[in-house]
Amino acid sequence: MQPTSTMNEEFLKKWQMGLQMFRPSIDNASVSERKRAIKLSADVAMASLRKGTTCWSRALIQKTATEDNFLVRQMLSGIKEETLINKKLPKVMCHRKIVRRSKKILMRRKSRSAMEEVAAKAKKLVKRKTQGLRNVVPGGEFMSNNVLLIQETLDYIVSLQTQVNVMRSIVDAAEAGIER
Amino acid sequence: MLEGLVSPENLSLSYADMSVPERLKWLQQHQQQEVLSLSSNDSPDLLQILQFHGSNNDELLQSTFSHFQMVGSGFGTNYNMGFGHSHEAMDGCISRTSSCQIHPPDTMGVMLKNSEENRAISLKNKRKSEVKTREEEKTEKKIKVEAETESNISNKEASSDTSKETSKGASQIQKLDYIHVRARRGEATDRHSLAERARREKISKKMKYLQDLVPGCNTVTGKAGVLDEIINYVQSLQRQVEFLSMKLAVINPELELGVEDLSVKQFQAAYFTNFPVVIASKPSVMVDVPLFPLDQQGSLNLSVSNPNQTSIDAPSESWETQSQSLFASVLR
Repeated sequence: MQPTSTMNEEFLKKWQMGLQMFRPSIDNASVSERKRAIKLSADVAMASLRKGTTCWSRALIQKTATEDNFLVRQMLSGIKEETLINKKLPKVMCHRKIVRRSKKILMRRKSRSAMEEVAAKAKKLVKRKTQGLRNVVPGGEFMSNNVLLIQETLDYIVSLQTQVNVMRSIVDAAEAGIER
Repeated sequence: MLEGLVSPENLSLSYADMSVPERLKWLQQHQQQEVLSLSSNDSPDLLQILQFHGSNNDELLQSTFSHFQMVGSGFGTNYNMGFGHSHEAMDGCISRTSSCQIHPPDTMGVMLKNSEENRAISLKNKRKSEVKTREEEKTEKKIKVEAETESNISNKEASSDTSKETSKGASQIQKLDYIHVRARRGEATDRHSLAERARREKISKKMKYLQDLVPGCNTVTGKAGVLDEIINYVQSLQRQVEFLSMKLAVINPELELGVEDLSVKQFQAAYFTNFPVVIASKPSVMVDVPLFPLDQQGSLNLSVSNPNQTSIDAPSESWETQSQSLFASVLR
């Protein structure tokens, strides 16, 4: 699935709306301030397109809310608060060293065939990668199973693509305009 | 022959979970079976089960159905071929089923025997497993797993324009669709491993979609590689966003993206750069192509610098003036 033109338009609209909030304090002297404003409003715009249906969008909104609560409130005035909260998964605190050591002992006890070992290593690798994916996708910790994780990744990738497309075309146009 | 086709004690159901579209499907099946001319009276429910297969376009279903071999005389295939003539939805199944000898009287008799059990089964909503044991090597099993409507999702995601939201919404509404999974030879047939297998196949299906989405994923095999590529891709996209926002901040000191009054579409079109744009009939935007698709035009040749000389088949005549004002505001 590729980003569609309607998605681009909606994103652009929301982004503009978000940037309006920063307009009054237009003397954002530093480039970094402006960049921050741009990025935050773009992120919230992207997440708000999903209207709280996906896990990553909620997590992203929460993240930006910690940085700029006012902006989030303004941009998401239409959406209820409850839809935006992610359910926290019951987390078992485990000391990695202890877990690893006990796993090693278990492995030693079990008699392993060659195929089993290969399969076990492959599984470990996949597990590590999925954990890496959870770190990258916002709200990955809240996705309880792998199916959900992959669905969310799909959606997140498409949204990221729209975001990049819109931003890039604006930058290109602005650049082309400046060159005149 | 078909003893032990169904062991009702293995079935567990929750009828209350049936949702409205599900009931509609039920009704649909009931109506479908009335169309069938052949002996629908005797075993309407076996028919229902197979119609259910037929009406579902799920790839998984059909592929598993292709392995479908009933006891002894190839009962199931006979069954399909016998009943499929008058029913279009079964054609998909028929084409995949292997040809077998047809013994209609036997099959009818068998069906009659099992009609009651099947009636009991088909009335129930959610099944964990049906165990069918034979003397021969293969053990076959059907699982009806309550899962998202795989067929709907696969159909919807196959078409490029539907958003993830709608498919997810649909899956939430139509919660029940049966996935038939056939245990292969030598594999465990208990409930848990089959449910696990169904889950795994769901995951691999979604991974295939991901592979289509992420460029360059086709060459890699194996989950770990694909996941690696996905992680890299997502990270690169995020970095791109950062970089572009920084660039915008530098270029655009006023944080002004455009004029409020204009429609966004015209605003977008105004941002085309010099090179000619050939718009495909299907609007689609790839990440590497920094252009917005316009729905109508064949080819655009916009020169951004001279709004006076825009040479496009513009959707509206006021295009030029508006684009001029746009650029005035942006460039300042």
